[in-house]
Amino acid sequence: MADYKAPLRDMRFVLNEVFEVSKLWAQLPALAEVVDEDTASAILEEAGKVAAGSIAPLNRSGDEEGCSWHEGAVRTPAGFVEAYRTYAEGGWVGVGGDPEFGGMGMPKVIGAQVEELVNSANLSFGLYPMLTAGACLSILNHASEELKAQYLPNMYAGVWAGSMCLTEPHAGTDLGIIRTKAEPQADGSYKISGTKIFITGGEHDLTENIIHLVLAKLPDAPAGPKGISLFLVPKVMVNADGSLGERNALSCGSIEHKMGIKASATCVMNFDGATGWIVDAPNKGLAAMFTMMNYERLGVGIQGLALGERSYQSAVEYARERIQSRAPTGPQAKDKAADPIIVHPDVRRMLLTMKALNEGGRAFSSYVAMQLDTAKYSEDAATRKRADELVALLTPVAKAFLTDMALETTVHGQQIFGGHGFIREWGQEQLVRDCRITQIYEGTNGIQALDLVGRKVVGSGGAFYQHFADEIKAFTDSADASLAEFVNPLKDAIANLELMTSDLLERAKANPNEVGAASVEYLQVFGYTAYAYMWALMARTALAKQDQDDFYVSKLGTARFFFARLLPRIHSLTASVKAGSESLYLLDAAQF
Amino acid sequence: MPDYKAPLRDTRFLISDVFDFPGSYAAIGAHDATPDMVEAILEEGAKFCEQVLAPLNRSGDEEGCQFDNGVVTTPKGFKEAFAQYVEGGWNGLAADPTYGGQGLPHSLGLLISEMVGASNTSWGMYPGLTHGAMSAIHAHGSEAQKQTYLTALTEGRWTGTMCLTEPQCGTDLGIIKTRAVPQADGSYAISGTKIFISAGEHDLSENIVHLVLAKLPDAPAGTKGISLFIVPKFLPTATGEVGARNSLSCGSIEHKMGIKASATCVMNFDEATGFLIGEPNKGLNCMFTMMNHARLGTGMQGLCLGEVSYQGALRYANDRLQMRALTGAKAPDKVADPIIVHPDVRRMLLTMKALNEGNRALAYFTAQLIDQAHGAAEAEQRAEAEGLLALLTPICKAFMTESGLEVTNLGMQVYGGHGYIREWGMEQLVRDCRIALIYEGTNGIQALDLLGRKVLGSQGKLLRGFTKIVHKFCEAQGAHPQLAAQVAELATLNRQWGELTQRIGMAAMNNPDEVGAASVDYLMFSGYVILAYFWLRMAVVAQAQLDAGSGDAAFYQAKLATCAFYFKRVLPRTAAHLAAADAGSDCMMALPAAHFGV
Repeated sequence: MADYKAPLRDMRFVLNEVFEVSKLWAQLPALAEVVDEDTASAILEEAGKVAAGSIAPLNRSGDEEGCSWHEGAVRTPAGFVEAYRTYAEGGWVGVGGDPEFGGMGMPKVIGAQVEELVNSANLSFGLYPMLTAGACLSILNHASEELKAQYLPNMYAGVWAGSMCLTEPHAGTDLGIIRTKAEPQADGSYKISGTKIFITGGEHDLTENIIHLVLAKLPDAPAGPKGISLFLVPKVMVNADGSLGERNALSCGSIEHKMGIKASATCVMNFDGATGWIVDAPNKGLAAMFTMMNYERLGVGIQGLALGERSYQSAVEYARERIQSRAPTGPQAKDKAADPIIVHPDVRRMLLTMKALNEGGRAFSSYVAMQLDTAKYSEDAATRKRADELVALLTPVAKAFLTDMALETTVHGQQIFGGHGFIREWGQEQLVRDCRITQIYEGTNGIQALDLVGRKVVGSGGAFYQHFADEIKAFTDSADASLAEFVNPLKDAIANLELMTSDLLERAKANPNEVGAASVEYLQVFGYTAYAYMWALMARTALAKQDQDDFYVSKLGTARFFFARLLPRIHSLTASVKAGSESLYLLDAAQF
Repeated sequence: MPDYKAPLRDTRFLISDVFDFPGSYAAIGAHDATPDMVEAILEEGAKFCEQVLAPLNRSGDEEGCQFDNGVVTTPKGFKEAFAQYVEGGWNGLAADPTYGGQGLPHSLGLLISEMVGASNTSWGMYPGLTHGAMSAIHAHGSEAQKQTYLTALTEGRWTGTMCLTEPQCGTDLGIIKTRAVPQADGSYAISGTKIFISAGEHDLSENIVHLVLAKLPDAPAGTKGISLFIVPKFLPTATGEVGARNSLSCGSIEHKMGIKASATCVMNFDEATGFLIGEPNKGLNCMFTMMNHARLGTGMQGLCLGEVSYQGALRYANDRLQMRALTGAKAPDKVADPIIVHPDVRRMLLTMKALNEGNRALAYFTAQLIDQAHGAAEAEQRAEAEGLLALLTPICKAFMTESGLEVTNLGMQVYGGHGYIREWGMEQLVRDCRIALIYEGTNGIQALDLLGRKVLGSQGKLLRGFTKIVHKFCEAQGAHPQLAAQVAELATLNRQWGELTQRIGMAAMNNPDEVGAASVDYLMFSGYVILAYFWLRMAVVAQAQLDAGSGDAAFYQAKLATCAFYFKRVLPRTAAHLAAADAGSDCMMALPAAHFGV
């Protein structure tokens, strides 16, 4: 496996040249104070060093060793404790945290790049700080001032970690049917009892305390998702002076043996009358969770991108070094026994597919992160509202499309290695295994698609969708004629999406199954169209600078590949969406 | 772990109703393969696979093979299962009776391999490799070699391997380095290192017969200078018993993503005694003899794993309660509805079902061609079958394994988070399937073989051999009362297939890169069209059975419904592959290697 190199050049291209992100920061006072282009650049460079130098070397060994469980204690693989300390001391856990409680206060668009770097280096490792950051967000937005002051500083500092306890054995997608109970106590605390499964970072040896955010039901709670509350339940009780007290009544019952992310502890957590404190109002637990959902889901999409990038780096190196067969047009490396396989068209097809999807994904996730920043920091209510709605619309696309494309990318990266791709030592197969969970957790990609079509597109009567379509149309209308080769297919793609959307809005009125029947393919068409927009934007920048640097020539070539070879996939997907739900319901369950 | 049940209902439908195996067995003179005999063999095979092999699948994955100082130990139970397999006569089922086989048709052997591969892919590698070695020796070995080696392999006392790959060459066998030096006694001293040798060393049999590609001292460079040698682990005595240990050894085994119970060995040959098989410098030809068979077998792995995954996913989708149906509660007495009510879960299940059953039809059709290529009475019939086989083999290998990966991933997705946990068994199917896209020639190589060597290399003749069949079918069924619209769709795609081929052929005359630029999308396009043809053949039969009022109406209705799903939701994929195959090589070849970044 090639040594990981942080793709800083491409990150700077996306942030500074394509999106000119410093202009956005200048308009948002809270960000203008803490970040500009130079600061951002320095931060990313530093994060790249930590990722490549301290975290990436633990990726393969972490996979081989895995986490181990012994009588409730979980040990992470060799080197994780030290690397986590380095990471925490650099302030990276709190990179997006509120400065009032010791966070770095960086915008999400910077946090997004840091996440890519860390997760490219080692996804299993990256999950621990990611879960902590997610827990912090919920606490920051929904907990009392007292809880915030008590917990956030140590969490941002990486001294304590966090976890999110949602899933139970019988309830994953359907949280309305959870059974964990919360009994109110005289002192205002609650006794939490129940079993949670699939709890990432539920127990480990990286920090002295772990703060669990647990969904549970109050005794008088209404049935279903409207009767769920959120509780903060620390592993070790925290005294009034901030020092650690006794162990709380909760424990890790076992860890799962998984396909991948083996160095990330996936725990069964047993709460046995554990002491917790309510976060936000009773029965508002799901709403409190949703605050961090947009951030987390974008983060999972970025995990996919991160693995795709890592796979690509190794695949390019291998394709340049591995010599095998001659080019169809005649020998290219006459002094060698065969040509490097990068001469073969089909190897190039795989590499360019990876490159186009990775770079499209980086631009798109950065774009969504900028909308999150606008929604959070803009002082103009209308701007905030539009950004909020765009975030709502694009988050499920970012989560599902980036991870679907990442599976394709990592599978290509493995295929380029031929037989060596199947051997653990070479590292490519681990990326596929690690990637596979990203399509499942934080809401399966099927659930993301339902969220997009049902809740966001149909739910807003098409209004959220219109923001995005209008922006793209404004771009295509004003684009220079020299961009026609990119803009024309983009126009067709957005016209196609427009038609699909109005058709779907119509059909969903008559039959609610139409939403679920169309949703996955609709999301994919949406994703390819969004990437087409990203690639047209990138091509515009690159076209203007192609004489300066090969980097821009490479961008243009990749843009052309995207439009010629990948965008046409929308035609098949669209045909499938048009086919509707009928063919899904010709069989009764027994006939399967 | 999902329990495996051999899908005998579907097998019977295909071999009796759709492809008329009994008629074709009679025509090739396979008189022992009576319908009763076939039924008994299938039922016994199913029992063995479900009860003996399937229970060793998860444990084999967890335990893996162990290497200790040149000795490889297979997981618990593997050795006993192999002994049972041999005792049951399964190993020699389709082998030549002259050397101890039962002489049943090859297609029947493939039906058994389907069950073996589905119940335990890793375990199936050992007999699978043995069958490959058997066919190479059968086709090219001398009578004495056959008497000694083929007999022992058929009886299952010995197993076989194929030693092709070396560290510096996989796809490009022209650059192998293993040497064969002629000895005074007519044997050869073989020296070199081979990697990725499945079943290169293990504890299932008393001897292992390696078929090794190597170069003679005076061999021409490249693929025309490769010879094939028999190199046994133990040299046979004059009476065919196990004799002295040969100077070869297993240096290590690989740690892999999947098929962990299959020993993938580094094999070191250190002036090992070998015997030339076939003519000098004709080694690749000898290998190609068994390639069709082996590649169909690899394609079948995609189907096998897809089938197990589907069985598991279906059971889970009926059991798992989560959310209410969008059209209102379907199981009001329970806290939630079974997830099979949700359209997206159905989309996944039906995609799995449509690809599996379509691929099964393709595999059985191809298996029948193997019978005909070997045993048809007329030379013309044999040649026709050979031509179709040449065309369909790379499609079976690549399309069926690509489908297998998609299907096993969908099966895992249906399980949600549980799909990712090893205990449930669904993720192992994905890992085990992944190698099938790589070995026996990567799918990219299959696509080049299809488009470059087979289709364009025959000036389109091999393709026309199949499109003609589709064309005739469409003409015959053009006015079908229920299926006419789908028949018309197939006819259109069949025409587009020919036109696409012509366009690529023209472009390739000016630029040889056009073949490799289009090949994978061309293969996938071909695969979806072929499956459309088989789905309609199945649908026509199912409709006829329903019209005739035959029993089991639910089965035939399900076939028709799955066919409808395939046409509505899967077949449209051809549009994207067509566009990509038509996009040309410019956008792929423009960037210099340095511009790929990093």
